[in-house]
Amino acid sequence: MSPREYKLIFTGSMGAGKTTAIAAVSEIEPCSTDVANNDSGGHAKATTTAALDYGEITLTGGDKLRLYGTPGQSRFDFMWKILGQGSLGVIILIDNSRPDPLRDLRDYAQAFGDALAESRAVVGIGRWQTHPSPSIEEFHEAVRDLGYAAPVLSVDVRERRDVLMLLDVLFHQIEAAEQHAVPAIADMETP
Amino acid sequence: MSAETKLVSRTEASIYHAHIDALMTLQPEISGVLISTVDGFEIAAKLTPGLSAAKLSAMTSSLLALAEAMCKETASGACRDMVIDAEKSRILLMELPHHKQKLVLAVLCTNKVTLGQVLWAVRTCREQLSRRLDML
Ligand SMILES: Nc1nc2c(ncn2[C@@H]2O[C@H](COP(=O)(O)OP(=O)(O)OP(=O)(O)O)[C@@H](O)[C@H]2O)c(=O)[nH]1
Ligand SMILES: [Mg+2]
Repeated sequence: MSPREYKLIFTGSMGAGKTTAIAAVSEIEPCSTDVANNDSGGHAKATTTAALDYGEITLTGGDKLRLYGTPGQSRFDFMWKILGQGSLGVIILIDNSRPDPLRDLRDYAQAFGDALAESRAVVGIGRWQTHPSPSIEEFHEAVRDLGYAAPVLSVDVRERRDVLMLLDVLFHQIEAAEQHAVPAIADMETP
Repeated sequence: MSAETKLVSRTEASIYHAHIDALMTLQPEISGVLISTVDGFEIAAKLTPGLSAAKLSAMTSSLLALAEAMCKETASGACRDMVIDAEKSRILLMELPHHKQKLVLAVLCTNKVTLGQVLWAVRTCREQLSRRLDML
């Protein structure tokens, strides 16, 4: 069988770590569209993504993961729609140090509702070590309250292993929901 | 965040508007001009009713960021202008550098204009604007 390609989307609030996560796992130099950040109230970092991030992972069987990161702020929501088209799954990243992380979850879950409704999503909670509230259980409940099912786990987006784990959990979720033939973690952990 | 109050002074704002007006008077085929930050916050705009400066600012930011990524990918050097040639209009996007911060400029015009003519007018306006801002 010829190699397949899977399009995956990293989304979530400004500073949650979409750009960092893709850079942590991509085997090519990621395409980044970060520009100077003027919204220090949104997040006090130097740059912010204006269009998209792009990275790739090739699995041992030759299948390819195409990783797209969205901008975080809602003024770029037209990019969310463009990037979401034709995606197999969505990774929602949460920065648990933000004022209302459960609300962030609801916002992005709603924006990527199609993927969540079909159980093609996973939620990664960042900075959980230093900000353990809301708890993972509260995020589970919030996902359930929205009428969706998605695994929730804590991650450090700076760690390759953590990001690969997110992708693996996402694939298991998709497989369980759709009996889709999807790659396994064994493929991904091979460098 | 309200970009206009936080990102530019009253003096700067009036300079932007004066240059926008001058450009639109010089080139009547230009129907709208928008100046925003590289990350998509509106700074100054004169657009036809019904167009959202906030949304177009974000789109200008995305398009120019993507154009720059493509220039980098293809080793093309710095990205100068971007021209969108549409059925009913032409849209020019370009950077507007000055010493304090990099801004971006979007110009909407009918497709009746000669591209060279409007590009020349916009570039001249941009240079005058940069010079004027650097004097502050
Ligand atoms: N100290 C600490 N820093 C973290 C942690 N997780 C992420 N970061 C940092 O948070 C920042 C995230 O920035 P980006 O990757 O640009 O975030 P983004 O989601 O792409 O943001 P936008 O594109 O602006 O929406 C990076 O500087 C990471 O190093 C963490 O657990 N601890
Ligand atoms: Mg980013």
